[in-house]
Order: sequence, then structure tokens, then C-alpha cells
Amino acid sequence: MIRKAISSLFLAATLWSCGGSETATGPVIGVSMLSLQNEFVVNVADEIEKKAGEHGVKLIMVDAERSALKQVEQVESFIAQKVDAIILNPCEVEASSPAVEKAKAAGIPIVNVNSETNASPSAFVGSDDVESGRIAMRYIAEKLDGNGNVLIMHGYMGQAAQIQRDKGAKEILAGNPGLKLLAEQTAQWDRSKAMSLTENWIQSYGSRISAIFAQNDEMGMGAVKALSEAGLKDKVIVVSIDAIPDALQAVNKGNLDATVFQNAVEQGGQSLETALKLINNEPVKPTVLIPFKLVTKDNVAEYLK
Amino acid sequence: MKKISLDHIGQYGIAIAFVLICVLLSILHPAFLTLSNLRVILTQVSINALLAFGVTFVIITGGIDLSLGSVLAVAGIAAAIFAHPDSYPLVVPLAAGIGTGVLFGAFNGFVITKSKVPPFIVTLGTMTIARGLALIFSNGRPVSNLSDAFNFIGGGTIWGIPFPIVILVFTFIVCALLLGKTTWGRYMYAVGGNELAARASGINVNKVKMMVYTLCGGLAGIAGVLLTSRITTGQPNAGMGFELDAIAAAIIGGTSTSGGTGNMVGTLLGALLIGVISNGLDLMNVSSYYQLVIKGLIIVGAVVLDSMSKNR
Repeated sequence: MIRKAISSLFLAATLWSCGGSETATGPVIGVSMLSLQNEFVVNVADEIEKKAGEHGVKLIMVDAERSALKQVEQVESFIAQKVDAIILNPCEVEASSPAVEKAKAAGIPIVNVNSETNASPSAFVGSDDVESGRIAMRYIAEKLDGNGNVLIMHGYMGQAAQIQRDKGAKEILAGNPGLKLLAEQTAQWDRSKAMSLTENWIQSYGSRISAIFAQNDEMGMGAVKALSEAGLKDKVIVVSIDAIPDALQAVNKGNLDATVFQNAVEQGGQSLETALKLINNEPVKPTVLIPFKLVTKDNVAEYLK
Repeated sequence: MKKISLDHIGQYGIAIAFVLICVLLSILHPAFLTLSNLRVILTQVSINALLAFGVTFVIITGGIDLSLGSVLAVAGIAAAIFAHPDSYPLVVPLAAGIGTGVLFGAFNGFVITKSKVPPFIVTLGTMTIARGLALIFSNGRPVSNLSDAFNFIGGGTIWGIPFPIVILVFTFIVCALLLGKTTWGRYMYAVGGNELAARASGINVNKVKMMVYTLCGGLAGIAGVLLTSRITTGQPNAGMGFELDAIAAAIIGGTSTSGGTGNMVGTLLGALLIGVISNGLDLMNVSSYYQLVIKGLIIVGAVVLDSMSKNR
């Protein structure tokens, strides 16, 4: 309660100060991001800010801190401030949907970036997470010649990314009867939790493990660390998703076998440009899909900056 | 003083619960009772145990510290920033990490003793401040590329024993002695048992409180360094909700939330119990949904068993 009160106070203060200094003539776009404590989301947000600067757009960016309820409240205050467009990085598929519906009811264009809601927005900019799961598991299937024991490490259960990445991976597993799913468990996107989980898995399954698919790089890095300490890294394939800098370094060193590149910069940039087009009544595609790419030792140099 | 001896009897409850759970898990899974799994469990428990030791001091004086998880994160970031290879000698990141923890603890203690605002509120505020600073110092991104010397703390071994276990044992001994064998320890019980009586008998209550919060912050700092080193990266969002596990360990171990009772052996057992359950359920591949329910039930069960043995 108190925490919520304090944070809404902060939000009110931020919004008020933004409204008070209304001197720019450019359009105003409200942005509500899933969590600015997540590196990928921060990268998307940075690009939105950069592009906004280039186009003379005034941004009101707020952090929903993974709370769909807070996100809906943030969008309500955007509507009250009569922003020209809203960019939403949804916290949850179902619970963030009212935010989309309210914006549309108020006649304000809303662009969903990175993840989806059940309610359909004016436009969606992102990548098909199911495909990233397919890419990762397909790589494992190829490396193992279709035979082996696989472990799956989930993100927060029930989140769109977790559900979709799992769906893609399971599709490939179903097509490869030689691949056996030994166990699956959540490590909540977290590196230290993933490390502990992998340590426990090693105790339970030991040398029977052929591959681990982690639904994000943070967890993939945790799995790699635990396997290395147990002297098993050479025997186990680890693949994860997102291509964060740490993971790219690990792929380059040969610790992590592969990661799947999700283009944060493109997602951020395109979401802002789509929002601008909507403000100017220009035609937009309802779904702008930015493709994933598999990153292995062979092509990692392209992604290392 | 009577309260302390009563509490020693109560401690058998948690010990019995712990042994029962271990026996059960050994029967259910062959990999549970092995030397290598024991090593894994103790390593995994070390971080929560350090936090739990700290919060035990605080709870005994009748306080609470909700900022532990966030302080751990900001201390870990502070250490990581100075731990890049070929930058500073190892002592600098260690001092930065532990120092940050001590500073936040002292801040908690200072505000609580000067303002008389309940510790629950003060440390709730510190929780968000520390999390914010962790994000500011790291720009919201993990701080990676740490030196081998630094990474030894969480990942190295001495004679086959993982270094986190060495830290765990050493810290446990120091905390147990401080609480059980020194005048300061007796003052802590006195303050938590009856603050007015403690003040009347000439104990500098504010000084004792200042000390426990600083100690608690310092231990969170050590835990932050340990976690950062273990995962070889400083994570601004590390330690979310860790304060709850630490408080749970202390309470399972017989520390009363009303203050005045509790001891380090109980807290260590509490932390071990939480760690053993988590490890055992992973070994058996129990779905995470059921894990939450089972963990909760076992925690409540352990406390019920504990209070029953106390009332006998």
C-alpha cells in the first residue's frame, strides 16, 4: 500500500512537472515500459528516446515495474494529459489489455512494443517470440543429431515471453522424438537462481544432460557457470535468447553455444516511428515483425561492438 | 535471562523438523544424501544465511530490516564497479561492497534511533533508495568482466570446500559468539525483551540499535559481494525478495518477531531448512507451482512444531 502510494506520488510529480514545462510544439508521446530494471527493455527505451530526440518528439516515459495495474493507471494519466500517442511495452497479455482499450476508446493511437496484449492495439512492433523458441530448440536438435536429453529453464511463469518461447521450443521437441525432456523448471529470468537450479539438476541428472535451453541469456549464463564449475560444460549444449552483451562475449569465448538475437534497437526505433505515422494519419502496418537471428561462434563477430 | 534458556528447549522443534525433512528427501531421491549435493546445498544457502544472521540481531532487539535484498544489490554493484581485471587490488572492491552495506545499515540505524519512526517504515524506504542507487550506479545493466581474484570468493574452493561455505562457517561462528557470549549480545536481548527496563538499567539502547542495523547492513554487504562473485557479474535487480527468505529463516529458527528471543543456531537451521527444501524439490523435478505451496506449508509446519515444543 505504502509503496504504491509513494510511487504514484512520484508518478504524479513527474507527470505534473512534464505538463508544467509545456513549451515544445512537437507531438507528445506517453511511453509505459514493462521494467526499466531489465537490460533488454532499457535498450528498447534508450532507442525510443534517441529517435524521439531526432524527431523533436516530447516523451513522457514511465516505468510500470512489472505491474499491469500500475501500467493501466499510467495509461489513464496519459489519456488525462491528452498525449498524441502512446507506446506500451505490456507487462502482461491479459492484465495490460485494459490499457490498450482505454487508449483506443479515448481516440489516442497506441503502439504495443515487444510483447502483445489480448486487446489489439493500433499497431504492434516486435518479434514473434514463438519463433525464438523454435530457433533455439532447432539448433539443439541439429547439434545433437535429434538424440539426447534436454532441460528447459523457464522465465516467470505466465508471462507472454515465457509462454511463447516455451511453445516454440515444444513444437520442435514434438517433431524430434529422439529428444527427451528430462525436466523443466522456472528460474524467473534470474542468473543466480538459474545457477542454483542447474547445480541441483547436475546433482539429479549428472552426465545424462545433453542440452539446456534457457528462455533468456541471464539464465543461460547462470547455467553455463554451474556447468563449468562441475566440469560438464564441454558435454552440455547451452542455448538462450536475447543476445545481451554478456552472452555475446560468452558465445565468442565458446562457453555459451548459441543465443538468439532480438533486435532491441529496431523494436524501439520502429515503435516510435510507427507512433509518429499514426499521429500524422499516415498508413501503418498493423504488425511490424522484426526477425530474430541465431548467433553462434561463426557469426558472433557481427554482433560484438 | 529465563527467556533465553526457554528458547534453547524450543530449538529442538526446528532441529527435529530439519532432520525429518532430510530423512524424507533421502528416501525420495538417491542423489539427495551425497557429499557433492551437500556441497551444493551449503553453497546455495550461504547468501541467505548471511542475511538471516544479520536480521536475527535486528529482530532480537525488536526491530526489522526490509532493505536487505536491495542493500545486497547496491553493495554487489559497488563491488563489481571496482572489480574489473587490472584495475584495483582485490581489497578495493571488497571494501566498496562491504562498506556500502555498512553505510546503509548505519543509515537505517541512525534514522530509526533519531526519528523514532518504526523500523518497518524506515527500512521500507531504504529498500527503494538502495534499489534505485543500484540501478543508477549500473545504468540498469549488469556490470560484467570481473577479475579472477574477485570471482574466487564465490566460485573458488579451498581443499575442495567451496569458498562461500568457508565464509558461511566463519561468519556463523563470529555471529554466534557475538550474540551468545558477549555483553553486547546480552544487551541486544535486553533491548528486545523490554526496552524501558533496558534503558532504566543503564543500557545505551540507541547505541545497541545502531550497532545491530550496521551489523545487519555489513552482512548484507558481504552477501552482495558473495553473490556478485558467484555469478561473476553485478546485477542491479539481484536479491529481490531475499529479505523475506532471510526473515523466514530467522523466524523458523525460533526468533520471535516480538523481540527478546532467538539465536544463531536456530537461524542457521532455518536457512538450511529452506535451502534443503528448495534443492530437494528441484531434484525431484516438482513443478514450480507446487514448490511454492510445499515450501509455504513446510515453513508453517516447522513454526507450529517449534511453538508446540516450546509450550510443552
